Amino acid sequence: MDDLERELGPLVDLEDDNNSSDDNSTKRQKRNSLFVLNPMCAEASGETGAHQTQTVCLKKIREAMLHHRWQEAAEYMACFPQMLENRSASQHYKELLWRMCTEILHHFPNSTMEDYMNIYERMKHSGVKHYLMICLEHSFHLLLHGRIQDAKQQLTAAESWRYGHESAAQLHRSKLIQAYRSLLDYIVWCDKKATNSENNHLDCNNDDQGMHNYFRQASVNLQEILKNPGIWDPFILSYVDMLEFYEDHEEARNVLNNYAYDSSFPPNPNAHVYLYQYLKRHHAPEKKLMKVLKILHVLVPSHELMLEYSSLLLHSEKQSDIEKALGVLLEMLDFACWRSNLDVWRSLKAVILKLQIQTDWQNAVGKKMADRKDWWPTLHFTSFHASKDSVENPELWEVKASLTKILCPDRNLKYSTEQETNDGEKHQASETLAKKSI
Amino acid sequence: MDYQFPQQLFPSFYNCGPPNSVLKHCAGNWGSYDGVRPQCDLDSSSSWTFTPRHRTRGEIWRHTEPAPVPLLSPRDNPSLWPLEPPDPLKFTEHMENFFTDYCHDAFGCMGDILGENFNFKHGNKARHPKDSVNMSKMIKYLDLLKFKTCPVAHYSRPLHQYRAMLSDVVHDIPPQLLGSLLHEELAEQRERLLFCESNTGGALAFVPFSEPSSEASQQGCLLYPGKQGLHCLNFHKVDLQYHREGPSFLDASSSTPFSFQLKGPIRQIGYSSLFNECCVAVRSHYFCGVWRFSETNEPRLLQVVNTKELATCISVSPHVLGEVLVASESGAAHLWTVGKGMQKVRAEDGNLYFNAKSSWTWCEFSAHPRVMLYADRTGVELTDIRVSPASGHTLFRISSSSDCRRGERLILAKYLGDSHAFHHLITTQYSAYIMDERFPCVPMLKWDHMMQYPPAFCHVVPGFAYGTAGETRTTKVLLGSQCAQEITMLQYSGGRAEACVSLDAPQALLRPKDSLIHLPVQIAHRHETATNRLSSPAAGLSCIQKKAGGGSGAGECLCILQLTEAGDIFYQILEPEQPDSDASGLPAAAGETQPQRMVKEAATSGRKISNSQLVVTSSDEDIVGPTQCVHRVVAETPERKQEEQDTDYYSEDSESGSRIRNLKRLHLQVVVNEDPELDQESRPDVGVTEHEGDNADEHRIEGEIGSGTSSLNPGQQQTPAKLSNNALVTWKHWLQKLMRKSRQKKSRPHHPQLFSISTKGLLQLSSKKGNSSEKTRVEKLRQHLKSCMSARSLLVHSTVSDTLGAAKVVPFPNPVDTDAWTDPLSQRLTLSWQGEEAWRAWWEDELGLNKESKAQALRRKRRKEKDARRAAGNRLELSGSFTSSISSQSELSDFSDLSGWSSAASQASWSDVEDRGVLSQLARDLKRGTATPSTIQSDTPVSTPAATPQYKPHEPETPSTSHTLSVSQSTPIRQRRDKSQAEDYLNSLFAPQVDQSQNDFLEMDSTMHAPPSSSNVASFSQLRSSQSAPRSSIRVGSSRDVFVSESPSQSQSFSQSSQGRQGLSQSSQPRKKKSRMGF
Repeated sequence: MDDLERELGPLVDLEDDNNSSDDNSTKRQKRNSLFVLNPMCAEASGETGAHQTQTVCLKKIREAMLHHRWQEAAEYMACFPQMLENRSASQHYKELLWRMCTEILHHFPNSTMEDYMNIYERMKHSGVKHYLMICLEHSFHLLLHGRIQDAKQQLTAAESWRYGHESAAQLHRSKLIQAYRSLLDYIVWCDKKATNSENNHLDCNNDDQGMHNYFRQASVNLQEILKNPGIWDPFILSYVDMLEFYEDHEEARNVLNNYAYDSSFPPNPNAHVYLYQYLKRHHAPEKKLMKVLKILHVLVPSHELMLEYSSLLLHSEKQSDIEKALGVLLEMLDFACWRSNLDVWRSLKAVILKLQIQTDWQNAVGKKMADRKDWWPTLHFTSFHASKDSVENPELWEVKASLTKILCPDRNLKYSTEQETNDGEKHQASETLAKKSI
Repeated sequence: MDYQFPQQLFPSFYNCGPPNSVLKHCAGNWGSYDGVRPQCDLDSSSSWTFTPRHRTRGEIWRHTEPAPVPLLSPRDNPSLWPLEPPDPLKFTEHMENFFTDYCHDAFGCMGDILGENFNFKHGNKARHPKDSVNMSKMIKYLDLLKFKTCPVAHYSRPLHQYRAMLSDVVHDIPPQLLGSLLHEELAEQRERLLFCESNTGGALAFVPFSEPSSEASQQGCLLYPGKQGLHCLNFHKVDLQYHREGPSFLDASSSTPFSFQLKGPIRQIGYSSLFNECCVAVRSHYFCGVWRFSETNEPRLLQVVNTKELATCISVSPHVLGEVLVASESGAAHLWTVGKGMQKVRAEDGNLYFNAKSSWTWCEFSAHPRVMLYADRTGVELTDIRVSPASGHTLFRISSSSDCRRGERLILAKYLGDSHAFHHLITTQYSAYIMDERFPCVPMLKWDHMMQYPPAFCHVVPGFAYGTAGETRTTKVLLGSQCAQEITMLQYSGGRAEACVSLDAPQALLRPKDSLIHLPVQIAHRHETATNRLSSPAAGLSCIQKKAGGGSGAGECLCILQLTEAGDIFYQILEPEQPDSDASGLPAAAGETQPQRMVKEAATSGRKISNSQLVVTSSDEDIVGPTQCVHRVVAETPERKQEEQDTDYYSEDSESGSRIRNLKRLHLQVVVNEDPELDQESRPDVGVTEHEGDNADEHRIEGEIGSGTSSLNPGQQQTPAKLSNNALVTWKHWLQKLMRKSRQKKSRPHHPQLFSISTKGLLQLSSKKGNSSEKTRVEKLRQHLKSCMSARSLLVHSTVSDTLGAAKVVPFPNPVDTDAWTDPLSQRLTLSWQGEEAWRAWWEDELGLNKESKAQALRRKRRKEKDARRAAGNRLELSGSFTSSISSQSELSDFSDLSGWSSAASQASWSDVEDRGVLSQLARDLKRGTATPSTIQSDTPVSTPAATPQYKPHEPETPSTSHTLSVSQSTPIRQRRDKSQAEDYLNSLFAPQVDQSQNDFLEMDSTMHAPPSSSNVASFSQLRSSQSAPRSSIRVGSSRDVFVSESPSQSQSFSQSSQGRQGLSQSSQPRKKKSRMGF
């Protein structure tokens, strides 16, 4: 536990040493560590003349931008870069300038592509450190405006860019650039696929060759990025799509399994969903599907797929699976978002009906309900719920009412009472609440 | 459909190491898209679109007023809040204050012990042992220390010596210890002022009522702490009135608050409501309480618990009413089922992930009723409380997986059940994160909130779908910091079928402390009071969301409330920018706009901004059409009109309306500063109602303003640069009330007092003789004195004889027998009475300078005598030759004049005290320079550079002490004292006669001649008299008077004796022997 702290300690000092504009007060602030003093907005003690003006100007711009006074910010911005030329402008100032300029442009209604181009290109070439980041953002900007080809060019150019020592962040960024470029390759591949299917195999060979080239280009980089822990939903989907087209099921399953079960990856529910969907598409046996869903159930008991899981369990032969299904459904109903969902209550009823065939069904239900019995009634079966459900969803009310006695047999619940006049209900409801809270 | 999980998330790296990125610039995440996600339209496979993680444009919300408006009138006395957090290095100042303000605590013990040995008082000797040290001189010096004096000019050697001797023993608390403790305390105070951990969460809540009573209003109950120290829990029904075109305000006047007095300050108020029943949990330092109320039922206290440890968090279950989570500093979290008791659900010894040296813990509910969030500064864990050794799995931790920065710490966690069942908001001092509990460790969304101080309060306004076309409002996250009162609004959408997307840049909202610039100018001390009050740190944040009534989104608004630690609540109303006005505000598409050009050129080189652009700098408008020059012309008139109306309005309740109208012509704003007393009509307690009384006036004004602003461009009209009249009136009354309250309780003055002489005792008439005739006589005398002073004449007896009655003829005091005093000093003194020439002649005699001339004169004389003898044959006495050096007759007449004045004064039957009073007044007048120079001035030296110490009633000049002089002198000490007193008298006797030239001469002499070995008493006393004369001018004047009037016999005897001695010396002592001496 202390490792992190130890690691944090000396780094802070290093940082202080590096940052020459920090005076004593900011150092003290940093020790306190909860107060942010923005390094560039903090006025250094020895600042005079142009530097001071610059700091003040920067403050003004920031203030205006934070209050969304874009016009004012733009006016100050017009003065700012001039002053920037005085200083042996550091990288941070360039990044700052780029960020502020683009943000202001974002908020002007008539900003054109040329304006953006101007800023992106200029700032891109003003410093090596931010080249990759600005390239990436530039390509995003192009993508958002539907210029996929231009974006691809940008990314290809950035891909081939090399400059000396690469920091970890730059390494990540170059990998991202490759991955995005491959994503665009995939899009081209998709387009080609679509045109191919339309053209009904005319010039089949030629286009196939082109498509295959794109696939090869894309797969190299996508494979590469999928080795790094992270969230790669769009990338893996496109990769698997291509692999499926070329019927490389082995690789596809490998990739998806790895994405879902590699412990170095974050516990992404989507990874399991993709695997499940893939298996389902390829008609995998139910046992395999249930295995995937079982793991997903542990991770996200409230997931949509739990409905499918419960139905799978319900239709399986094993006796214990019905109890499992009961558990899955009850757990879903714990969550606020499923509480008034008719489907879950219906499947719960179905499970219980099937369970009731067994002899010791009451025991099984009681076991599942044991740790819920003190809070489930107030969560589901108060007269408030009754009145609300009966008005909004009578069908749900019916299903719930039929289950109250089974789920909470030893409690006298107000849920199943007949619909009364509003006043009477309210009165009773407040009684229930009062009882509960006292 | 909260159960849906986004089908595709934005790509990002995951790296679970310690964070190492460093904040290098202040631009946050501006300008970047942060990643994109492809979307393929299924119907046409070729059309790919991309969604950015950060969308640049969001909803635009505008303020209806340029400054927040106070909701309630200030109730309690405003205490002065330090504007700046205290500097721990200034602990010495605090020590000084402690020593002066609490000297008994600081020096009590040693003071008692040492006190017996020091005598700080005159006169009452009996109480002190004989060997006590007299410190009466020291006390004068010490009195001066109260004022700011020059340390070089005012230097006391004995004090310095005492300090060296006693400084290490006189303190009850060793100064080193006190200093270090103070430093520690100040550092802690500073930290607390910058960020107060215990206030996390905020003590302000708004519970909306379900059914709006009308289209334009949203009702609800505002929960806030009140009274001094925030000890009182208030349930107050409020009504948000919103009209897009008309005035919109928060009305708290319709009902009185329902309040509960608590035993400690309220730190946090949490609530949750289910089926219109609301459960309110309140946290104070060592107790927590739960109330229950609904729209129809009055609030009712359900249960209060005491906590052994300092409670740091309270949170109410959104699932089951009556379940409350309480976290304490010990690291334990309890589930408190109201009415059933507490159950410990989690206990933690240290921090979760690394040692953050903080015992702060926090807990929240989650989407599952039996899974709770346990948070500290290092991260958040989801804890299943059903299993007994509560186990958790990480939801969030400070690590590089969430792009944390170095040194980042968690400040606040909040379950966003209202907007999304699985979402949690987590704030750190740099960023805000949206976490989905289904996908722990990776934030769904991350903002750089760009606040300077850590966001300790938050409120989330859930997004919702509105209209027919399925438009949705974004979810808004409001973050508030304590110290700087910042509020930042962040927008996001998604989280269900689509991944979360943040919109727009963070928007800073208005702060109460900035609102004074929008108000009429205040006079300085009121400005200070108001600034102090307004800049007290924030203590809570809440928001009232008013949804559109008609489905069109027209009547929608957000009212953001902010509580300050002074107990004030300020609100600001935001309204969405209407799409139609958006369209109208858009400039013609042709050509590029100014700002664009500017930004473009910003990238290349700067450019001067023309005048026309500067005009619109103050507006919040981001769209500036090509018509902006027209704006400038048009904008002039209504603004001025409004100004006039403002002043008109204010002049209504001032007495001198015409004066203000005149001032108005000069474009001066005097307005709010007029005395609150002027409109003393009983104001209702609640500030907002106050403007209701002036409805008639307002309507008139609004009408005029309406007509005035109608000519404005709609785009301009949307962003008010000026406060509306409603708000101005509210502010005005709020300020007035604040000033009235602040006047009731004056705080300790912070500035050192000016050095002044206390004349209280001096001007008092003695109670014994204080009858009316005496008074009138004194009055008359004063008038005479004044008239004399203005006429530059002497106040002689003849002018005052009619008021004083016939002068008692005082027999001329016995002349001093100058022959009885024969020593050279007495001789000289006697001679000096006769004038300077005589005195000089004596010196010349003494030093033998006139030997020759004398010899010559003698020779001449002898010759003459011889001649005469020869002629007459008579024999004359030789001794007559000595009288020839007598001074001229004119000088003698001067003295007689003076004596006439003094005798006139002495013959007055005033008491001594009165006498002193008049004289000191005179002296003061002279010092001030108000009195015109007169002949009196020659007697009392006016050039008194150093200040005169004030009179004490027990000074030795009182008649009784001067009387002791005549009684027999018994003890040697007394004798010595009396002798020094006599010397004093002597000095005082001579001082008035020492005119400037003589004084100079004496001083020069003293510097020239006084050798250290000189032990001559006479020279010493004269030196002293010359030095002390300017300092004790009053004393000199009065003492002489006393001398003359009260004890004439002594003065007589002195003069006699001196004369006698002089005579003696003249006759017996050889002249040559004395020539070496200084005088």
